[in-house]
Amino acid sequence: MLFNSWEFICLFSITCVVYFNIPQKYRATLLLVSSYIFYISWRWDFALVMLAVSLINYYSGLKINHSKTLKKKQYYLWFALVSSLIPLLYLKYANFFIVNINNVSKVFGASSSFSTLDVILPVGISFFTFQALSYSLDVFYGKTKVEKNVINFTVFVAFFPQLVAGPIERSSNLLKQFRDKHSFDRLNFIDGCKLFIWGLFKKVVIADRLAIYVNRIYDDPDLYNGPTLALATVFFAIQIYCDFSGYSDMAIGTAKILGFDLKQNFNLPYFSRSIVDFWKRWHISLSSWFSDYLYKPLGGNRVNYHRWLFNILIVFIVSGFWHGASWTFIIWGLLHGIYYFLENWGDAFLKLINQSKIKTYYFYKVFKTVLVFFSVCYAWVFFRASNITEAFTISYKLFFDWNGYLYLGASSVTFILCLILIALLFFVQVLQSKGIVSLNFSSSKVHPILQLLWYVSLLLAISLLGISSNSFIYFQF
Amino acid sequence: MSKKSFILSIILFVFSLFLLDRLLNEFLEKGLNQYYGIGESNEIALIGHSHLMLGLNKLQIEDTLKKGVSKYTREGVNVSDRLVMIKQLLKKNTNLKTVIYGVDAWTFTGEGLSDNSYKLFYPFLDDPIIDDYVYNNSERVEYISKKYLKSSRYNEQLISGAMRGYLKNWTNLKYGIVDTLKLMKTIENQTYRKINNNSDNIRVLEETLSLLRENNINVILLNLPTIDKLTTIQKEDFNNTFRIFKNLTNDQVEFVDFQEPWSHRYDLFFDPIHLNPKGQSLITEKLIEYLKFNDNE
Repeated sequence: MLFNSWEFICLFSITCVVYFNIPQKYRATLLLVSSYIFYISWRWDFALVMLAVSLINYYSGLKINHSKTLKKKQYYLWFALVSSLIPLLYLKYANFFIVNINNVSKVFGASSSFSTLDVILPVGISFFTFQALSYSLDVFYGKTKVEKNVINFTVFVAFFPQLVAGPIERSSNLLKQFRDKHSFDRLNFIDGCKLFIWGLFKKVVIADRLAIYVNRIYDDPDLYNGPTLALATVFFAIQIYCDFSGYSDMAIGTAKILGFDLKQNFNLPYFSRSIVDFWKRWHISLSSWFSDYLYKPLGGNRVNYHRWLFNILIVFIVSGFWHGASWTFIIWGLLHGIYYFLENWGDAFLKLINQSKIKTYYFYKVFKTVLVFFSVCYAWVFFRASNITEAFTISYKLFFDWNGYLYLGASSVTFILCLILIALLFFVQVLQSKGIVSLNFSSSKVHPILQLLWYVSLLLAISLLGISSNSFIYFQF
Repeated sequence: MSKKSFILSIILFVFSLFLLDRLLNEFLEKGLNQYYGIGESNEIALIGHSHLMLGLNKLQIEDTLKKGVSKYTREGVNVSDRLVMIKQLLKKNTNLKTVIYGVDAWTFTGEGLSDNSYKLFYPFLDDPIIDDYVYNNSERVEYISKKYLKSSRYNEQLISGAMRGYLKNWTNLKYGIVDTLKLMKTIENQTYRKINNNSDNIRVLEETLSLLRENNINVILLNLPTIDKLTTIQKEDFNNTFRIFKNLTNDQVEFVDFQEPWSHRYDLFFDPIHLNPKGQSLITEKLIEYLKFNDNE
């Protein structure tokens, strides 16, 4: 069930009407039922995995809280970590390891090999596993209170607006909201609808339209030259942003209508002036998860220089691996780690030669924004390519094959429309960055009538130019 | 926000949405009607799919014959779709005298054309004939959404068509020359489109011709050339199909075959089926000669 489907609109409308008209004590149960209906629409057996992960972490949370000794607390934390990660490791990563073990065995002359598993990855498994785990970790570190109500906890893991593609919520933010009584709030309703419409526009009008060109080029990169692959890569950068941030906006907007506040997941990432800044603006909920539960436990930056380099690299590699069981994702993460170091060394060099003030120059800021954008774009090549060989073929062509014409796609009308839509997105984001237009519920300086016309126009554009695709890119993770 | 201003805002929003939706639909539908020549006093109508769309130049015919031409050609339309298109024209183009109906060896082949070509007619959903056709072919939710949210009936190609209607731009040109090596590979792999005459489709064409006869409209079943390599590999089926076209002729229905002598002139083709601008100009000229000759007779 997708946000841009009639089934979702029906489910959400019914949930909303019933939610605000039943006693508080039944509300979490209603949200739980709606969330499982939402998830079961993909496959019913996937819901069992989610339920199991929820119950394991619920039980572990209780046990960690009741345990008197640190050793016992650690035991239950490890129980939660291992048993929650087993389904994820088995369903998502088992085949990756089997294939790689087979490849290594072949090198050493082994004649037999392990056969790969015939498994299907449950939608959003990485998201709900990480969300559930964050609770056990928070209870262990004393950052959150233990949840004794099993319904509240299972709905925290399964909450349908953010279930399959985040934002990955923390128990300290979301769990307590299931205990609060929410009344229908007109402003919440309007703000939620506005964000939902903007997210839907980004998804079905921009992302899915750019996907036509990107898929065509990336499905057969051998056929195209460097300029065409470069354009497809830039289009993919915009596509994945509009797809994922569009989903996040819809999730946050939907939750807002119900009275829930979810975390902001994107903050104009392509306006970043550094890689560090990019990761503070892109998929914020995942970056902060890795920062809190991986980087800091590894020692963060309170370690020696070499250990710090190692910590950074580990976080980026694990982040890449979280996205998918493929070397392409690992290299994508690794590339970001390398960018991080290069940037750090560049800053250190400027400091060394006493030229740090250059960073305040307008020209330098623009240069860094452009540099970060294209560096991120290049890393997307590895994220989007089907396999490592293809990614390197594309890389080679991007740098060395600039002969021939730029392919603009099957329809020049669609191509021109893509450019117009990108320009519109850029324009809106400039206004958002200047605080003129609302960004994640911030106040808007635009006249209410103009706002009304803007959202009417967005709906008309969705109706007129919306393309129905079957999925969101991040559902696969 | 007070309850009153909240309700007022919602009403204003919904009202603006529906008003703009209707205005947009009016604007785009009018442009499309102009593009396809629907609701105009043209004497000639060209009906077919992309084969005819890229094969004939409407302006060239109009300029030479001094007669208005409606070029109502849509990508992927099958014989059932064309029957609906003709019904639509008969209702709106009261001065219609001749229909040039594009045929080819695959006219009665169901496979290969769009299965959901009824979607092409969404913009004309306010016409009861189209409404019936779409209603019978689409899913209910889809039908209702297109019926009441009128802007959802369009896409960028239709918007482009509407704009071209306003700009009076009727050129349909695809530049380039057919890749015969690629075609040979397709033939070797047997992935080319097979001729497979379906009796239901033959019956629909017969029904179409009867309808046109009842309305006193002359019909030219026009076969534009397709590349010889594609037809010689299924020569028997090709001949059978053309025999059907010949059998359908009478005092009001003619079959005009332009397959030869151009099917081996690869320089005229954009791909194995569609003509390029050079082919379009040449074949349009030949059609004009034929129409002139017939007029004089």
